[in-house]
Amino acid sequence: MSLPFKPASTAWLLAHELRLAWRGFLAGRKGRGPGALIAFVILGGLIVFGGVAMGLALRGQQVPVVPLAVVIVDLALAVILTLMLSSTLAASADALYERGDLDLLFSSPLAPRKVLFVRALGLAVNAGLWFMVPAVLLLTPSIVLGHPAWLGVFVVLAAAALGASGVGLLLAMALFALIGPRRTRTVAQVMAALIGAAFFLASQYRNLMGQKASESLFARIATDAREGRIQPPPFADLPLRAALGEPIPLLILVALGAGIFLFAAQTLGRRFADAAAATQGAETRKSAKGPTRAFAAGPFHATVRKELRLISRDAALLSQVLLRVLYMLPLALVLARGAAHMPVWALAGPAAAVTFLAGQVAGSLVWITVSAEDTPDLLAIAPAPMGVLRQAKLTAALLPVALLLAIPIAVLAWYAPLAGLWTAIGAGLSAWSTGLIGVWRQKPGKRADFRRRRGASLLATLAELFVATLIGVATALAVAGWLVWALPPLIVAGAVMMALRRTDEQIAAALRVAS
Amino acid sequence: MLITSHARVWFWGRVLTEALIVRGLNKTFAKPAVSDLDLTVHAGELYALLGPNGAGKTTTLRMVAGLTQPDSGAVAIFGVDARKDPAAAKALLAWAPDEAMIYDKLSPLEYLEFVAGLWNVEPKAAKAKAEQLLETLGLTSEARRRCEGFSRGMKQKVALAGALIHDPKLLILDEPLTGLDAAAARLVKDMLRARVDAGATVILTTHILEVAERMADRIGIIAGGRLLAEGTLDELRGKAGEASGRTLEDVFLQLTSEAVPQGVVA
Repeated sequence: MSLPFKPASTAWLLAHELRLAWRGFLAGRKGRGPGALIAFVILGGLIVFGGVAMGLALRGQQVPVVPLAVVIVDLALAVILTLMLSSTLAASADALYERGDLDLLFSSPLAPRKVLFVRALGLAVNAGLWFMVPAVLLLTPSIVLGHPAWLGVFVVLAAAALGASGVGLLLAMALFALIGPRRTRTVAQVMAALIGAAFFLASQYRNLMGQKASESLFARIATDAREGRIQPPPFADLPLRAALGEPIPLLILVALGAGIFLFAAQTLGRRFADAAAATQGAETRKSAKGPTRAFAAGPFHATVRKELRLISRDAALLSQVLLRVLYMLPLALVLARGAAHMPVWALAGPAAAVTFLAGQVAGSLVWITVSAEDTPDLLAIAPAPMGVLRQAKLTAALLPVALLLAIPIAVLAWYAPLAGLWTAIGAGLSAWSTGLIGVWRQKPGKRADFRRRRGASLLATLAELFVATLIGVATALAVAGWLVWALPPLIVAGAVMMALRRTDEQIAAALRVAS
Repeated sequence: MLITSHARVWFWGRVLTEALIVRGLNKTFAKPAVSDLDLTVHAGELYALLGPNGAGKTTTLRMVAGLTQPDSGAVAIFGVDARKDPAAAKALLAWAPDEAMIYDKLSPLEYLEFVAGLWNVEPKAAKAKAEQLLETLGLTSEARRRCEGFSRGMKQKVALAGALIHDPKLLILDEPLTGLDAAAARLVKDMLRARVDAGATVILTTHILEVAERMADRIGIIAGGRLLAEGTLDELRGKAGEASGRTLEDVFLQLTSEAVPQGVVA
């Protein structure tokens, strides 16, 4: 089907990109079954339900432009912007390295800035959609029920997405200029994780610094604003006014977002093309020095070593793990610090959270080590039993989790040995269970495909969440001293695991169907 | 019927001296890919399997390597029933497809360590063999660089080293010369010939008929999933008839044009 635009025009190129994105989406959905769709419909329905309730509650009421509202909207926009920037920075760096059709486009007579403009627009759309879709579902009832000016929220989100993708591109290119093509991707991924977690960490500064653990930064700011102790600086009310549909603030924000976006796309066009060309083969590391290490013996050890090497060299995966570690950090610190002087029952919550996060990190790593295999045929023609290879992959995924948890659990065990023991058992059980789910519900694919679209099974994702939560609850109850009450959630988790369990033959059959 | 004993191996009533025996192999995807295929490769020979695009060469070899399940038929590798005892059969063979099966984020040395581990090669011997293979293939200076920046030809060489690290008795190569420059292609051809001279068996597919003509001891021509002819070049000439001409290209085109409509043959 030909595109209804003048060939080589921006609209034509944009339509081409949209067509590819749509086909990629459809291909990603193939063979997934109706489960994910049903889950999304239910989730969407719940948001709409909440939106209708909100719309009815706010019918006829106006949102006042007062310091508290200004602070809330500013903080919300700042959180959204950092999350968008985190996503666009990682995607911008990736775009430099993904060959795809970039070579074809830059070797054509198309102006590089046109190519970059369309690519950057794709980044903005991708970053914006994550917030736009729930916002549309939540706010449309209010808009219909008497607040048409709130359409401004969507415009603010679009402007934020444009601005974030512009800044993401500029940052990625600045990194490229500063540290060169070999390290840009890794550093950008790590920076993206840090930016993504920035607001969470800021909100947890008291936990990190060891002051009153219960008070969060946001709660403190909100209280201060409500009680008039904070006076927002000039222009701080622009986002709120724009979201409420006031034309001038709306225009200013759009001009700001679109201006940053256009500036980045216009100024970086040629440089981006050169940088993308320079990345080809640039990630190759220099030869390692020193004597060659002894070879691993047997398929189990060789596979563990290979998987650990691949994990340590996967910048995107490392940034994901780093993000989760950053989220885990305040909890782990509370756990370790509290152990010295808090009653044991007060450690139950943080212990549960550490257990839950151990399961989540393990789930991510197992998903990659087991499902993302670049040479499945090599493993298939090897005489090594598939079960041994799977155990090796599971071991390789769980080792980093064990390393991550070793220090906080050791500190906890030093001050509160029993709580430390239960947390270690709970975290281990949680990581092992989510790992097994990853093995049983694996979906084969290439590593590069996983970077582009992490098509995890929705059932597996939900099951991992559910099982990790149940084991987290059981750990909390055990740490609090209510051992008997820890059994029911464990029994439910065991039942879920039994329901998900697949034999080697069933896994092989599922993989044959998938391929 | 395959019967094995400690002393001798029987396959449908014959004493086995063959590296590979395929009987009545069938595989249908949307349409039949391989139909009732019989193939025999003697131990210690270099066998070239030729055919036009879509003839069923790769599907056949994937079934032999245990990567694709046949609908029916039997495969024996040095007397081991590959369908009944796949692990024992796999221990004897190596498979190198046209797309190199390597990991971009591993160095050649790390890759060879992994492959040697899969085949349970003793670590010290594997390390020595890996270093020797990389030297032979001219990859010593790249041995500890990650493969992600390698050219296609270099990746092919790494994959070939992986296929040879466990000294397979049967080496199956799908288009092994694709992407190699003249010097590398020559090197690979010499290595394969040396393996055969040392007693190994090599089966390869190629679209470069001159390679098959010069290297192969025997040649099989397949089209539409069926074996059209098999034998030495002289035997094939005889089967194609006087009108076919002298070169393998003439014979190949004559035989495949009889089996496949004009214009389909690549």
